[in-house]
Amino acid sequence: MPGLATMSLDNMYCTRCGDGFEPNEKIVNSNGELWHTNCFVCAQCFRMFPDGVFYEFEGRKYCEQDFQVLFAPCCAKCGEFVIGRVIKAMNSNWHPACFRCEECNVELADAGFIKHAGRALCHVCNARIKADGLQNYMCHKCHGVIDGEPLRYRGEVYHGYHFTCATCGVELDHTAREVKNRPGYAANDVNNLFCLRCHDKMGIPICGACRRPIEERIVTALGKHWHVEHFVCAKCEKPFHGHRHYEKKGLAYCEQHYHQLFGNLCYVCNQVIAGDVFTALNKAWCVHHFACSVCDAPLSTRSKFYEYDERPACRRCYEKFPAELRRRLRRAHHYTVRR
Amino acid sequence: MSHQPPVSCIPNTGKMSKAKKVIEEAKEINNPEIDLVDKGISSLEEIPGLFSLENITRLSLSHNKISVVPAALANLSNLEILNLANNNIQELPVSLSSLPKLRILNVSLNKLYNLPRGFGSFPVLEILDLTYNNLNEKVLPGNFFIMDSLRALYLGDNDFEFLPPEIGNLKNLQILSMRENDLIEVPRELGQLARLRELHLQGNRLVVLPPEIGTLDLASNKSVLRLEGNFWVPPIEDQLKLGPSHVLDYLRSETYKVLYSRHMSAKPPPPPQTVDKSKKASRAA
Repeated sequence: MPGLATMSLDNMYCTRCGDGFEPNEKIVNSNGELWHTNCFVCAQCFRMFPDGVFYEFEGRKYCEQDFQVLFAPCCAKCGEFVIGRVIKAMNSNWHPACFRCEECNVELADAGFIKHAGRALCHVCNARIKADGLQNYMCHKCHGVIDGEPLRYRGEVYHGYHFTCATCGVELDHTAREVKNRPGYAANDVNNLFCLRCHDKMGIPICGACRRPIEERIVTALGKHWHVEHFVCAKCEKPFHGHRHYEKKGLAYCEQHYHQLFGNLCYVCNQVIAGDVFTALNKAWCVHHFACSVCDAPLSTRSKFYEYDERPACRRCYEKFPAELRRRLRRAHHYTVRR
Repeated sequence: MSHQPPVSCIPNTGKMSKAKKVIEEAKEINNPEIDLVDKGISSLEEIPGLFSLENITRLSLSHNKISVVPAALANLSNLEILNLANNNIQELPVSLSSLPKLRILNVSLNKLYNLPRGFGSFPVLEILDLTYNNLNEKVLPGNFFIMDSLRALYLGDNDFEFLPPEIGNLKNLQILSMRENDLIEVPRELGQLARLRELHLQGNRLVVLPPEIGTLDLASNKSVLRLEGNFWVPPIEDQLKLGPSHVLDYLRSETYKVLYSRHMSAKPPPPPQTVDKSKKASRAA
């Protein structure tokens, strides 16, 4: 080594311990770095490298055993360390000879593979299994075997007869079309299934009531389209004709029936309460109709009143009640307060 | 009717002149609502000009001493509210039933022992208050349950032992009070009153309820179901301690249907009448 000859022992130091070398001492030189022979050891077990074979990782040198223990991947099949070519597939490491088709056992490392239902298969086996599978799709709804073509809906397969066309209501088969979005339709209307016939007509809006195409004026409400004369109160079935409607649980009601069914009708006039609502005793009143039920004298929001069959009675009337009735009402009142 | 307006010998000018004043004022300013509450009136005929007030919509006559309601009251054809509460009325004229706009009729706290034949022909009556009288199922006129415009029927403090099954015809009924009667049973037909939100059955002699009651919407926060003070079979009484909604759940159960049909076929004698009603003010002659 001509280089070494020019170097003097004075400026040569061991890479590990930093000390100099004795004259005539045996020096290990590895890629220009110098070691005492005692210092040239495995970074893990501090023993000399058997046969001088070492593995280097992140600037440190390891004996074969320790390098494998620390860094070498394990084969998912045989459990041995993988040295040399590592096949990374199916979220594991493999020896090239261990990564094989799970059907025919052919090596896949160079031929390539296809993942099928969590198994690695060669192209031939994959095609064969897929063809077998075609004959017995399982319905996602009833879990029965589907003979023939399945209906595909939201990524699953079904018997067609579990569904009807969203437009005409006819029972569907595998020719049904899934529509995931339609211009002009509300979001809750998407992902519907249609028979081919209705699917082809789909440009034209369909009335939510009569299921027929709408060619004149369209009312859009409740996420659907309606013929003007078919958009009606769910109670009295009179068309709104542009008058205000009230929605409740997916149905539309006229003002009168909405209030009749869902609240704020005045106990006295039985009309929709236009202004402020006075509520008491599970009932509602127009403010000017809130009155004593015995003498009709108006009560204000501040008036004290007595409950009498869940109606208000003013103090004056209560005091005119027969004494025995007052006694019973008092007792009933105690009962309800106690509850 | 042979009733004559009582002849008053003592000058009763104090309160009567007030009534007169009310009428005159009402005529002057065309007030459609007349309040003649607690005016000591013993006969409507004493009030001059009352029957000519054809435009009035409300007439409140509570807390007077009226014993006879003249048939001519029905001339007030625009009346919507007629309040005769707390008087001495023993009979009503059938003419009232023809008032075309009458929506609210209050005859509570009177001395009615019966209702006139044909009483049920009110065309638009919505609230009928007959609380605290002496009525029972035998004196209801045949057409009583054709009043399907009724939304509230108050029959509390009367003497009903049975509720006629025709109650099921009152499809618009939202409120039914049978508080403190003598009810021994209630009909299955009550279950047809789909709009019923208030049912007062407290203070009766009931032992079981038809399972159909369980289908009514009486458990919501806007509903009222009063059942206390009866003679319920132990399972109902136990559920009632937890609350009326628990009773409704129980009525819907299969166990209860069996219990109910057994009870109805066994027909045990009804519980005794425990309340002495002779002290009721409605009884006094």
